Amino acid sequence: MSMQAALPIAMIPGNSIIHRINPLAKLVWVVGYVVLAFSTQNIVILYSMAVFAFILAPIAGVTKPLLKACLILVPVGSSLLALQIIAPAVERPWTEVASLGPLPLYGDGLYYGFVLLGRIVASLIIALVMVMTTHPSDLFTSFAKLKVPYTLNFMLAMTLQLIPVFQREVGIILSAQKSRGMKGTGFAAVLPSFVPVFVGAIERVQQLSISLESRGFGSNGVKTSYRQVRGRPSDWVVGIVGALVVAGLSTYSIMRGTWSLAGEIQFSSVFVFVTFLISATIFAGIILAAILFSFKK
Amino acid sequence: MSDPIISFTDVTYTYAGTDEPALHSISLEIQPGEYVAVLGLNGAGKTTLGLCVNGVVPTMLGGELTGTVLVGGLDVSEYPVREMSKLVGMVFDNPEFQMSQMSAAEEVALGLENAGVPYEEMRRIIPETLELVGLGGFEERSPLGLSGGQQQRLAIAAVLAMKPQILIMDEPTSNLDPIGKQEVFDMAAKLNRERGMTVIVIEHEVEVMARYADRVIVLDAGRIVMNGTPQEIFSRVDELDALKLRVPESAALARVLGSEYGLWKGQVPITTEPAVSAINELLGAKNA
Repeated sequence: MSMQAALPIAMIPGNSIIHRINPLAKLVWVVGYVVLAFSTQNIVILYSMAVFAFILAPIAGVTKPLLKACLILVPVGSSLLALQIIAPAVERPWTEVASLGPLPLYGDGLYYGFVLLGRIVASLIIALVMVMTTHPSDLFTSFAKLKVPYTLNFMLAMTLQLIPVFQREVGIILSAQKSRGMKGTGFAAVLPSFVPVFVGAIERVQQLSISLESRGFGSNGVKTSYRQVRGRPSDWVVGIVGALVVAGLSTYSIMRGTWSLAGEIQFSSVFVFVTFLISATIFAGIILAAILFSFKK
Repeated sequence: MSDPIISFTDVTYTYAGTDEPALHSISLEIQPGEYVAVLGLNGAGKTTLGLCVNGVVPTMLGGELTGTVLVGGLDVSEYPVREMSKLVGMVFDNPEFQMSQMSAAEEVALGLENAGVPYEEMRRIIPETLELVGLGGFEERSPLGLSGGQQQRLAIAAVLAMKPQILIMDEPTSNLDPIGKQEVFDMAAKLNRERGMTVIVIEHEVEVMARYADRVIVLDAGRIVMNGTPQEIFSRVDELDALKLRVPESAALARVLGSEYGLWKGQVPITTEPAVSAINELLGAKNA
């Protein structure tokens, strides 16, 4: 009954140096990565960021789950590159470097494809490293130290908790409907299961609120915290270094007009052609597989 | 006798949106340190009675309450449930619905945090309490990954950690296997004896209640129909039958032996041991 439905991305317990860094210091890095990634178009910086973030994975001992979560990049990356090569997201004129029959392939499209992908890859990897090395409760405890209201914090934490619960609830209701001869898979089964899931959710929440209030939730006195999150000098160093690097590089990049290497890097026509073939094939393959899979059901 | 820790004076309660009262002019006193079992069919008002004690009825659920419920001298309709929580711990029947935290330790910590218990003390209380309910070493486990019985014991620990004077358990063992049930009742008995905690158990398990409780209260359609020691109550087999309530097996056996065969005289046994020795005596007398 109480089988645990795990989230695909969850904390991997450990005691590595990355695990021990203060959650807020890690958060500075994640936010910094996102800011920097979206303010530069320099692919050397973008992919260096991704590589640096990836180096953290073996240090934290989360390489395998990280790679697994990164599988999402396959459809994202292939579609991004394939579409950018035939329809760049920049102003014309585009330089046509090769063609596939009547389809022109653009070199600058590939560059911007790499920029967009680099932004996603760098931000995703650092965010995953953070999520996989930080206990959610520690993160929320840190938020509380930043004066985020207790109730808001509690709501965020509760939401994380409820996702696997509702996943399981949906599973139970679907099996119950299947056992009564209703359709148990596909979209047709989802709608009739909504009502019982929501009714169940309301009942659960009411019971939970009674239980929480019975344990003093919402009392006015001073609250203490069981989880202690320390801010050691090393955490301050990590956080400040992250903030400085990001602020420096972002400012420089913005001053140089987003700092693109588009003019300096020229891809050979063969490279563009091959990249297009590979990414388009993967993308088309994924779509085809998805269609076949849904028909089979 | 000392002052009662719980007293109901002519309490009638109707849930919001219903016409029929769930409780009908209930008057009841419970002394500190008593172990009280509440019996009754589903819908007899057992849970409502429990909810009155920690003030969920009427402060959280609304509805109409007449009469007064005093708990530890406080009128429950005047204090929010979170204030009553210092005095009354309540465990509900569905343990999973009471879980909100990422680890067992944090689940237990929740009430302590709200009460402002210092960190160092929590570090001591939490393992102690988990140990007490047989979940020692489960600190970092996710509550949702525990079995039904473990979750129930965790829910109890979460309440016990706050050291309430009154512990109310609403069908605490409905999800538990026989060993789990035994553990919960043993634990409640221990708290009752050793810490003088007032325990109110809402249950269907008459055998266990016959063994542990100081007093049994039987509810029917929102009214108290019986109120006395387990020996008194469970001896009234015919009345319990009429209420469609179970009686301990040994009491039922004694009645059959008594009324149908004229073999049973004297006190009706409510637990197994006196029944066994009485039957042995009977058999011995016959063989002799």
